[in-house]
Amino acid sequence: MVRGSVVGLSTALVGTVLAACGSSSPEAGGTTDTTTAAETGGSDTTAAGAAATEPVAITEPAPPAGGIKQGGTLRVASQKPGSPLDPVAMDNLGTYTVVTTSFEYLCGKGEGAALAPALAESWSPNADGSEWTFKLRSGVKWHDGTPFTSADVVATLDRLAEANLKAYIVAGAAKPTDDTTVTVKLNAADGQFPYQLSLYNPQSLITPAAYAVGTTLDKTPAGTGPFKLEKYDVAQGATFVANTDWWGGKPYLDKVEFLFSDDIATQMSGLQGGAADALVAFGIVGGEAIMASDQFVVESIRGAAHRQIWMNVREGNFADVRVRQAVALGIDRQALIDTILQGRGDLGNDHPIAPVYEYWDSAQPQRGRDVEAAKKLLADAGKTGLKITMHAPKLAEIPQLAEVIQTQLKDIGMDITLNIESTDTFYDRWCKVYDGTNEPAGCDGGEEFGIVDYGNRGTPDVYLVKAYSTGEWNSAHYNSEPFKAAVTAYQASLDTPGRAAAMKDIQAIATEDVPYVIPYFYNSLMAYSAKVSGIVASGLGHYELGKAGFVA
Amino acid sequence: MRRYLAKRFASAIVTLWLLATIVFLIVNVLPGDVGRKILGPFAPKEEVAAFNQRLGTDRPLLEQYVTSIRRVFTLDFGTSYQSGRDVTEVIFPALGRSAKLALLAFIITIPLSIAAGIYAARRQDKLADRVIVNVGLATSALPEFVSAAVLATVFCVHWKIGYVFANPPDGTSIIGQIRYLLMPALAMVIAYFGYLARMTRAGVIGGLHADYTRTAAMKGLSRSAVMRHHILRNALAPTITVISVQVGYFFGGIIGVERVFNYAGLGSTMLAAAGARDIPVLQGAVLLVGIIFMLSTLLADLLISFLNPRVRLEGVR
Repeated sequence: MVRGSVVGLSTALVGTVLAACGSSSPEAGGTTDTTTAAETGGSDTTAAGAAATEPVAITEPAPPAGGIKQGGTLRVASQKPGSPLDPVAMDNLGTYTVVTTSFEYLCGKGEGAALAPALAESWSPNADGSEWTFKLRSGVKWHDGTPFTSADVVATLDRLAEANLKAYIVAGAAKPTDDTTVTVKLNAADGQFPYQLSLYNPQSLITPAAYAVGTTLDKTPAGTGPFKLEKYDVAQGATFVANTDWWGGKPYLDKVEFLFSDDIATQMSGLQGGAADALVAFGIVGGEAIMASDQFVVESIRGAAHRQIWMNVREGNFADVRVRQAVALGIDRQALIDTILQGRGDLGNDHPIAPVYEYWDSAQPQRGRDVEAAKKLLADAGKTGLKITMHAPKLAEIPQLAEVIQTQLKDIGMDITLNIESTDTFYDRWCKVYDGTNEPAGCDGGEEFGIVDYGNRGTPDVYLVKAYSTGEWNSAHYNSEPFKAAVTAYQASLDTPGRAAAMKDIQAIATEDVPYVIPYFYNSLMAYSAKVSGIVASGLGHYELGKAGFVA
Repeated sequence: MRRYLAKRFASAIVTLWLLATIVFLIVNVLPGDVGRKILGPFAPKEEVAAFNQRLGTDRPLLEQYVTSIRRVFTLDFGTSYQSGRDVTEVIFPALGRSAKLALLAFIITIPLSIAAGIYAARRQDKLADRVIVNVGLATSALPEFVSAAVLATVFCVHWKIGYVFANPPDGTSIIGQIRYLLMPALAMVIAYFGYLARMTRAGVIGGLHADYTRTAAMKGLSRSAVMRHHILRNALAPTITVISVQVGYFFGGIIGVERVFNYAGLGSTMLAAAGARDIPVLQGAVLLVGIIFMLSTLLADLLISFLNPRVRLEGVR
């Protein structure tokens, strides 16, 4: 059901353009924890309890006390687009930011990992989830004034059937019932298909019927969104002007200017020096000055992005489950969150189900640090004083994470040598074989121990299937029939209670077998001037500015 | 003179061919293939293969080499792998921006360093000389990206009187553009002031002690006339040679400064193209910088022979 896709692992990372390359895989946002740096900690808003496939109210930040004034130009420092502005073929966060300022999805971002109405007002499956009906918003116009209809959605889905949604639908699968209703017949039942038509599948933006494959936004400006592209220069930036006919109402801002840069330090300096009013994304590492200043609002977007410590369960030092459990018990997760993430993350429990998923089993006991138990497990397995090399990429906070883990595991008698490499070199160590032909452990030729990054997803299917089941990214070579059965049960469920029941088993099995230690789920960070309000960010490059403006 | 220019032109063609060959070789000895690099490590093999086929990067190296050399000499650099745009659409605007920044940097650096060099030479071993020489040494020891980062932090972030994003918006007046470019230009001035000032100083000191200077003074010429007509004409030759080399460098080599100030010049264009293995853009930009190098050294040679007729251009009769 979840197709073999080509998602870069950590799409939410700042400074990497290795993002969701042509992906149809779901990628999640999360709840937003807004703090000014003056506050400590900040308050989290928890995920809405609604079923993931049911629309919930649109998330809009509370307006400031004085309200938002009409007018002004918002200058946004953002990652330089790394590919042409082709909605179907775009593959990096910088391009997403620009293209999604004009184009919109059928399903928008709701609370937590939930979806909210956007171009579709509602959606519902048939009895077995093999066919979905989308009711479109009426009165929506394209930027040139022509009406948006079901024909545009059908044409977009036909294009995606040959690209990003190949595993889900064939061309002709989408049919218009009338001008505002579209039914989509899936290749196989999928209870969470609307995620494929949301920001969690960035390439699924709805484009006009005439928008052929390969058409780019800069050559053919179009869209239904709150801003129209006025000028684009990949070397410098992009300028958008307000679409006063937007279905969501006239935007507050007159203009939006994106200032492109490949260098996150320059983007941060731009915000600090007043050259930019907002910053699409930044990392904890190097972002201390912004987080410490009360001139900026820092939003910490909770999600499912995580770091995964893999251990080869099939052969070698970690084949004995006791060794893996010892590693898991030797790590002090809270200390990692406090020191490395400065508190901006959720505890991991050695499974990829983040607390933002509404079907997350919160009753599962949290694994804590127990040095003595870990030492005993190592001794029982005959691995006391285990010497091992840990491989990790030079990416965001991962080198620091590796160092702290090295120190923590010294306490249980493990002697770890670190091998931190550039991302290019690293991914060869992680998984050399990408095609999954050697089932059940197709991810062959890699090292037995290391840290890899996984990005934010709207549903955990990619993690569960690719890392834990079929083997394409299964660097642990994990193969558990009970686990696969639980994943199948989860994917067959059409409602939240069904998914929650399956998830309970998934979490328990993964934590017990511990093919991967997942120490934390990290938040994505974005920042803007305290003079600005109303920005909604996904942590995936999307920057919704329809309700944003300058504080009155 | 015509023969001299013909010889220089012929050697320029050979240099360009060598440059194009070196770029091609360097790009092709890097590990990994182009499609994989652009589509990322997780793209399926079929997509990578299709992408490489579309770009022609799956063809035999010799065939790719011939195509790439042909492109150089027909000035058709092809299409950027990364952006899908014509390479000339990418590199010429970048060249224009680099030219603006280089021009501003030269307008500040050249008079400042030559004046400082003359001043120091005339006060040899006095305090002013020591200050100029030592400050010059210290600033030229500082890598330009360090001075750029310091300028950006102090003037742009802290005092907010400069621009971290140094690309001036369209329609900015000339004065406005100078304000945008001042900080990156200053970073370049800091890096090259000392070197040029010391070159000038050494030349002028040599000139001051030369026999022809003594003769000119004894003829009753004023000090400034001696300086202008005799000393500087001889003393500036090495400085001009250095400046001509720096022209090419200012266009393509100041990657650190361009990156710190997010300036979309040739340097950062080359860096981005190298990172993405965007060979057509990389090749186009490197060749452009090569051409600028050649033109500036030719100009320097002509200028030196004009300043000092004793220096005959090779091949000129």
